[in-house]
Amino acid sequence: MFKNQLKRIGSLALLSAVLLVSCTDLEIKETDSIFSESGDGFNGVADPEGALQALNNNMRGHLEGQENLFALAEVSTDETFVPTRGTDWGDNGIWRVLHQHTWSPSHQYVLNAWNQWNQNIFNASEIIDPRSNSSAEVVAEAKFLRAFSMFWIMDLYGQVPFREPDEGPEIEPRVLTRVEAYDFILQDLDDAIAGLPAGGANNNDLNRFATKASARFLKARVLLNSGVYSGAGAPDNAALDEVIALVDAIAADGYALQEGYFEIFMDSPDSETIWWVSAGVGNRMWNGLHYNQTHPDNEGGGWNGFSTLAEFYDLFEGPPNSNYAGDGQEERRGFVVDPSNAAPDNYGFGYGMQIGQMYNGAGEPLTDRAANPLVFTRELPGLVGNNERTGIRTLKYSPRNGAFTGHQIIFRYADAHLMKAEAYLWKGQDGTALDMVNELRAIRDAEPLGSISTEIMLDERARELYHEFVRRTDMIRFGLFTRDWEFKEPGSVGDVNKNLFPIPSNALLSNSNLVQNPGY
Amino acid sequence: MLFTGVMFSQTVSGTVTGEEGPLPGVNVIVKGTSNGASTDFDGNYTLDNVGSEAVLEFSSLGYTTQEIAVGSQTTINVYLEADAEALDEVVVIGYGTTTVRDATGSVAAVTSDDFNTGAIASAEQLIQGKVAGVQTVQSSGAPGAGIAIRIRGTNSIRSNNDPLYVVDGVPLSGAAPPEGVDVGFGSSTSSNPLSFLNPNDIESISVLKDASATAIYGSRGANGVVMITTKSGKGRQGGQFEFNTGLSYSTPANEYNLLGPEAFLDAVEQFGGSRTEQDFGNATDWQDVVTRSSFSHDTSLSYNYNYSTGSIRGTFGYQDLQGVIENSSLQRVSGRINWFQRLFDDRMNLSVQSTLSNVNEEQPPLSGSAGFQGDLLGAAYSANPTWSSDPDEVVGGQINPANMLKYTQSLTNTERVLINFSADYAFVRTDTDKLVGKLTLGYDQSNSLRESATSRASQNLGRGTQGNGLGAIQDNEFTSKLMELTLTWDKDWDNSTLNLLGGYSYQDFANKGYNAQGWGYNTDSMDQMANDLGSTVRSIEALLRGTGSYQQFGYSEPGGTSFVNRLFPDPSSEPLAGFADTNVRSMWSDYYDNTDELQSFFARGNYTLRNKYLFTATVRADGSSRFGSDNQYGIFPSAAFAWKINEESFIGDNVSTLKARLSWGITGNQEGLGYGNFIRRERYAGPGIQDNGNVDTPGIGPVAFANPDLQWEETSAYGFGVDFGLAADRLTATFDVYYSETTNLLLRVEAAQPSPQPFFFQNLDALVINQGVEFTVNYDFLINNSDWDWDASFNISYNENEIRDFAGQIPAGTIRGQGLSQAYAQILAQDQPLFSYFLREFEGFDENGQPIGDNQTFVGESALPTTNYGFNTNVRYKNWDLNMFFTGQSGFSVYNNTANAFFTAGSIANARNVTPDVLTSGEAGNAEAAVSTRFLEDGTFFRFQNFTLGYNFNLSDNSGLDKVRLTLTGQNIFLITDYSGLDPEISTNPAGGDLLNNLPTAGIDYTSYPRPRVFTLGVNLVF
Repeated sequence: MFKNQLKRIGSLALLSAVLLVSCTDLEIKETDSIFSESGDGFNGVADPEGALQALNNNMRGHLEGQENLFALAEVSTDETFVPTRGTDWGDNGIWRVLHQHTWSPSHQYVLNAWNQWNQNIFNASEIIDPRSNSSAEVVAEAKFLRAFSMFWIMDLYGQVPFREPDEGPEIEPRVLTRVEAYDFILQDLDDAIAGLPAGGANNNDLNRFATKASARFLKARVLLNSGVYSGAGAPDNAALDEVIALVDAIAADGYALQEGYFEIFMDSPDSETIWWVSAGVGNRMWNGLHYNQTHPDNEGGGWNGFSTLAEFYDLFEGPPNSNYAGDGQEERRGFVVDPSNAAPDNYGFGYGMQIGQMYNGAGEPLTDRAANPLVFTRELPGLVGNNERTGIRTLKYSPRNGAFTGHQIIFRYADAHLMKAEAYLWKGQDGTALDMVNELRAIRDAEPLGSISTEIMLDERARELYHEFVRRTDMIRFGLFTRDWEFKEPGSVGDVNKNLFPIPSNALLSNSNLVQNPGY
Repeated sequence: MLFTGVMFSQTVSGTVTGEEGPLPGVNVIVKGTSNGASTDFDGNYTLDNVGSEAVLEFSSLGYTTQEIAVGSQTTINVYLEADAEALDEVVVIGYGTTTVRDATGSVAAVTSDDFNTGAIASAEQLIQGKVAGVQTVQSSGAPGAGIAIRIRGTNSIRSNNDPLYVVDGVPLSGAAPPEGVDVGFGSSTSSNPLSFLNPNDIESISVLKDASATAIYGSRGANGVVMITTKSGKGRQGGQFEFNTGLSYSTPANEYNLLGPEAFLDAVEQFGGSRTEQDFGNATDWQDVVTRSSFSHDTSLSYNYNYSTGSIRGTFGYQDLQGVIENSSLQRVSGRINWFQRLFDDRMNLSVQSTLSNVNEEQPPLSGSAGFQGDLLGAAYSANPTWSSDPDEVVGGQINPANMLKYTQSLTNTERVLINFSADYAFVRTDTDKLVGKLTLGYDQSNSLRESATSRASQNLGRGTQGNGLGAIQDNEFTSKLMELTLTWDKDWDNSTLNLLGGYSYQDFANKGYNAQGWGYNTDSMDQMANDLGSTVRSIEALLRGTGSYQQFGYSEPGGTSFVNRLFPDPSSEPLAGFADTNVRSMWSDYYDNTDELQSFFARGNYTLRNKYLFTATVRADGSSRFGSDNQYGIFPSAAFAWKINEESFIGDNVSTLKARLSWGITGNQEGLGYGNFIRRERYAGPGIQDNGNVDTPGIGPVAFANPDLQWEETSAYGFGVDFGLAADRLTATFDVYYSETTNLLLRVEAAQPSPQPFFFQNLDALVINQGVEFTVNYDFLINNSDWDWDASFNISYNENEIRDFAGQIPAGTIRGQGLSQAYAQILAQDQPLFSYFLREFEGFDENGQPIGDNQTFVGESALPTTNYGFNTNVRYKNWDLNMFFTGQSGFSVYNNTANAFFTAGSIANARNVTPDVLTSGEAGNAEAAVSTRFLEDGTFFRFQNFTLGYNFNLSDNSGLDKVRLTLTGQNIFLITDYSGLDPEISTNPAGGDLLNNLPTAGIDYTSYPRPRVFTLGVNLVF
């Protein structure tokens, strides 16, 4: 009897346990993330301002590193290269092929830059999508950031895949031709100019994010390169007139050339900065400096890689083998600290081109790790087989202003000024162009030029804008990216296919609408 | 009491003996009742209340059961015959048990008698090398290091390839202590998820190898299943204590031969450096500074109590393992209670198994992703031997290993509770018919707290750390609940039997916690740093209490920004008002909380005809919340057939076993696929601290590119095996061949841009093939000899692995070190095995000392061993016994990343120490040490893994002791290999986020934790 009862209770317990849990529907809950209302589809971003913040943060990261965009835009030129120093900076040859113009579709930076800037485009599209209900100002900023991102994809790769926000991974994105992308970018920029707040000089808070001025600046850059994108070669007059008008509009917001070249790159406000991001400038500085060049916040010193070619260094006025203060060089070539000006508060760091014997803040000569005098040389044995001392190093930002300052300039008025001058040059108004170039040179304490040509214009841009992400675009515009330079692979010289990077092989596999660029 | 008829009760006692003397642990029961006992260590038993008509049943594993009518006897001594069918060993399989003889699938069991011994930190080490087809790779010599187990090859590309662990019937959730975050010198993988179990508590481990055995675990069975059974209280009637203690002495088994001070200075000169500048006047052996010889101990005390209707066993264990690298240790306190209770004439069984453990781990500054300066070991290999070993005397920009030891700290505490309750009830119980229902409830909770810190007094450890300090906290609470219901029906007919099982299972996996990071401390002390960051987090949590939920908060001194980011009810971001803390200048904390569920329905049928033909079929339907509603369920069937040929009349008596097995099955995999990848989800991005201490306010964005089409990865496996025994199974052998194909590979692949994230999860339309053979043989050399025993066993397995039908080529196998950023050594491509090396063919140095050969290609080598083998032998002479175990692997290559990063002419040219061979290699000081076959080496090795020498004392009856045993165990006694690094059986893994293309690595030796050589003196007392 009692047992039967228990048996019944036992069975009931089992049964109720089954019913208690019964069958779950296996649905996950919204506990630490927000689910899209339509499940897998796109219903607008949860928070447009937060999404814009994320986009700005991501882009800061994409502009900060020495790899990826910086590598493609700068290390592929005569301005910056990364010689392999013994075992250092070999990195599977990833830097050497950029300088030699022998990169392949599987180059990791070719792939990373493609992924990063396309991702920015998509994130911006999500914010812009009407279903996100973003405010007009948020949409305008997102359009600017999308235009900036698409500009890079168009400029580097010549074709731009495009995905609508509600297209899932099963969709192969359609592909815009270079001309379609060009039109798309201009449309975004016009919308951005209409919707963004006005710019204003000497204002770090304002210029940290997009303004009408930064949108106009980008539009001017895109227009100035329109001949490259259309295949026509030179920009047409309408584009050039618009470049001039855009630069004038930027100037009307108060932006202007400013004296004291290297002060512009400090984190204090100035009249030249149109758009800066909070990206750390540690990479820009420490990449080139030697291990034994240290700062209290970076006792490990530099990373001893990045250099510039002697032929680039020689574009500047000044003696060829020495760049100490008072050697007679122009301001933009900077100076090397020596015992005469070494001080505890500059830690031995100067500005600009670093060549010859290096010193610390006490004015003592430095040595390399094997205890040879740390003398940076013009000449190198080649791209490999270097010791720690070969090659001239470049300091646009200097550790004397902080080891890891988070202030990197992206657009600056001097560039706008030179774009306007160049527009006049393309239009045939050489005199105006020359006057404008000399106006800048006067502020930079450089001798006035007697004449102007496209090549001189390119050299002037090099002197003013090194390390500012423009050298490759500029060289292509002037048809000189394929020219020979020291250590370039002879087979690559004159190869116009190198004006475009290949579509990364992984991207080709993932989207059959993409067609590999010629020559790859 | 009611008497029907003439009855009387009496007490019966006696001794049970076997061939080798008294038999302990024999079950003695009055047939048909619950009245029973077990024999004690001397084979004695006593039973009360035995009726004269009673029949006593004497049974013990490995012996023929005997029944004796009591009558008027009060003393019954019994001699039990050894069971010739030793293969009738019980093996635990999914939702039940079987015997080796009756198993249709490929199942291997290792019992505690055959376990590896010595300083054992974790359960997998117990069976390392013991089972054919099971590759156990202990990648590191660290206490509590993770161990990779691969059963019949590597099936999956990215997903976890670890088997499912089932402890006392409860599938574990795979909770592991947190990975090591980068606090200045790279990340590291998490430690062993099984470290919570005291190996002394484990009774047996079964390995289910083929799909017919594992398919009952459906979606979790693709990588095989390891069934762990803990010791129960069964034994003699009454109570018994067992005490085990072991003291171990560990030394690094191997070290690099580096240049001493004079030779180093000569070498610096040889490569153009300045001897005087590099001579700091000391003689420091840096490997001695960072390594040590250490003592560890392991003690456990258990108590068994066996009473007529049940048993209970409790264990308390304490283990203190000290690693051979400074600052590495593991302390575990564990308690376990196992309780069994029979009720209602044994119709009902209740059982509770519970473990409580508290593990403290101390991790040294080692990392699989260290950059050019290296981690602690890399720094020790390259440090100038004339530097002072004073931690505060740091020269130049290099890491001083002593400084790194003194000013870094990483401590993890993990508390885990695992409770398992089950109740079964026989609704029907006759001789031929049995219907049993069973309810199992499991609760598994693990709380881990890892606190890492690099002090501001450290030098050269990462950007922005020196002078500021960098710290991190990872606090994780993992809870898994399990409910299972099964119904089994056993039916016997005249010449056939049927066993049917049906069941339902539900398990959830709740994962929550936070990650925090701090920068800019006003203390040098790492303990204080952990306190400061922890108290800052708690103060802000208190401040925000009642303000609604939040995902993250943080503030930074540079810029003076702060934020609280909330997801619900709507995403919002606001400054962190009213908080000021000067102890941590910048910090953030980011919270997560998500739960996944699995629900399954399963059935199995076993049908045996004439005790010759065995049929098994299983099916499991698994539903997982990791997939979208259209793809939640996967169906995993299997079937197997076995034929006991030896039962046929045409087989002679000499063949004691001959069984053929045929199996097929489909199993699934969803591991590695994280939470909610099928749906579009948004979350605030993870914050970070920049080199200058700045913390940007994170924005919100999509977590992943949603893929609603995600589904299970599936492995179809086919197997054929033969079990063979001669001369009453004096010789036994098992041979298996198998072939498996994994499809719908879950892989994080590159999305077609533009996309919200560069990678997304996809089922890849490619195949991973594994095929191989396994062979095991056991032989008893001496039987029927009371003084001597000698047996030996050997197992060997061969596995081939290949990817097919895969269009892409994905670089994998990150190589780290100076000048090796973006370098990799492997490519995932079709018609190649996983982990295939893709390298420059190194052809020596040219006359300028520059390397020849710059064309990267597949070199026909893989990191996966094709051949694994183990040889085990036991010898007993009277009271002495000796067990020896040897193991080896071949058919694979190891990439010596340590040599690539540190032992090159470029290193000595930069005044970094090297091995002597570098000086004569012909390499120039300015040569690049690119990734090439120069550093690829044959990994073939043969290891004397383990020996145990034991002595059992003869005890007098009045000693009060039942057993006294002393053992001396040696582990990792010698290693025979051509590999030039410390140990070829390695795989250095950075944390998941640092893996190239999210692909795991294998065969890459980058400053691996050296494996120790360990000697252990052990005492085993039973009383």
